[in-house]
Amino acid sequence: MWLERRDGNTMRRRRSIFDIIREYMEEFERATEEVLSAFEQPSWNLETHSLQPLFNISVTADEVIVTADLPYADPKTLKIESVDENLIEITAKMRVKVRFEDFGVSHREGEFSSFHSRIPLPVPVDASRAKASFRRGILEVRLPRRRGYRIRVE
Amino acid sequence: MCEGKLSEDVRIVERREIPANAKMIHGLPDVGLVGVIAVSQIISQLKMVEVAYVDSDLIPPIIVLHDGLPHSPIRIFGQDDLLVLISEIAIPAGSLQPLMRAIVDWMDEKSVETAISLGGIATPNRQNIESPKVFGAGSNELSLKILREKEINIMKRGFLVGSQALILHYCAEKDITAIALLAQSFYNYPDPEAAAAVISALNQIVKVPVNVSELLEKGEEVRLRMRDIMRRTQSELVRMRKSQEYDIPHYYVA
Repeated sequence: MWLERRDGNTMRRRRSIFDIIREYMEEFERATEEVLSAFEQPSWNLETHSLQPLFNISVTADEVIVTADLPYADPKTLKIESVDENLIEITAKMRVKVRFEDFGVSHREGEFSSFHSRIPLPVPVDASRAKASFRRGILEVRLPRRRGYRIRVE
Repeated sequence: MCEGKLSEDVRIVERREIPANAKMIHGLPDVGLVGVIAVSQIISQLKMVEVAYVDSDLIPPIIVLHDGLPHSPIRIFGQDDLLVLISEIAIPAGSLQPLMRAIVDWMDEKSVETAISLGGIATPNRQNIESPKVFGAGSNELSLKILREKEINIMKRGFLVGSQALILHYCAEKDITAIALLAQSFYNYPDPEAAAAVISALNQIVKVPVNVSELLEKGEEVRLRMRDIMRRTQSELVRMRKSQEYDIPHYYVA
């Protein structure tokens, strides 16, 4: 078993079950930290005047269904783009501009006029066949899952 | 100020005299923030005042500034014989048990007559539901009788996870009449329509003169304001395995 060391050199050693468990736990901790660190960012961006919407991803046998809560979004300005096969980007302008002041916050300045989010997809999809709808301020994008080979049952 | 000796980890600090035999409404962060949105509306429309707050090392080191002054994020508001519990932050899943136990102990000490906790029941096809249904569960026979009299659908079987589950459980232990009202709601989107539905159901049990049309009119504003607390609540819902509410009970044990 060849392992890449942090300094870039490789070394050969036997991995015990404990090594495997430790590596697995480290991997798990890193993943957890990544998830948690996402929450340490503000949900707004002053440079782009945009807010990050709440979103949800569900995976069925045939589809990946992405929804996003977009209050005040102007449906005519909704844009959904496939950035690459694992990522879609959702943008929408809002019908109103909101400022920190509107929320009673006086120690920050800035206004927001759009939603912007990049949403990672958990499984491969065929984005060219995706369908989207927007009802009561909630966007729903249905992306068909990519199909592989069919295995014949003998 | 008087301080209850209810739990080593959770103190409930009273700022005003608490009436005996009050009714207490709970609105803590959960799916769709239904309870929080509903009780925010009740507190602001009835112009209720803070009567007590929760101080605990089990919640993050956080205060909420209102008009420049610090407040606990978990507070109890009051007016006449009505008390309302609200949290302005997502409560860490691991702190929920000691916190709810202390609140139920406090309700017992104050001889709270009825506790009604408001919340949501995540419904996957929520987007296709025009008017969310409300379901109820109770801590004792009296609470079920109230639900039946008011013709509120009773949740007969299934799992409840979170603060509403704990209130029912601890109130059942102390034989405090507690009712959980849950409106069909989004899982991780603030749901003012579900909050309006749950207020209407509450009104059948306790008359709370609150105008729900106002809440529905400013639905978009509510959804925007509640975005950050919803995001944080969602991660706590994952930690408490909220999705078990979707599970089908495995075996019939009466």
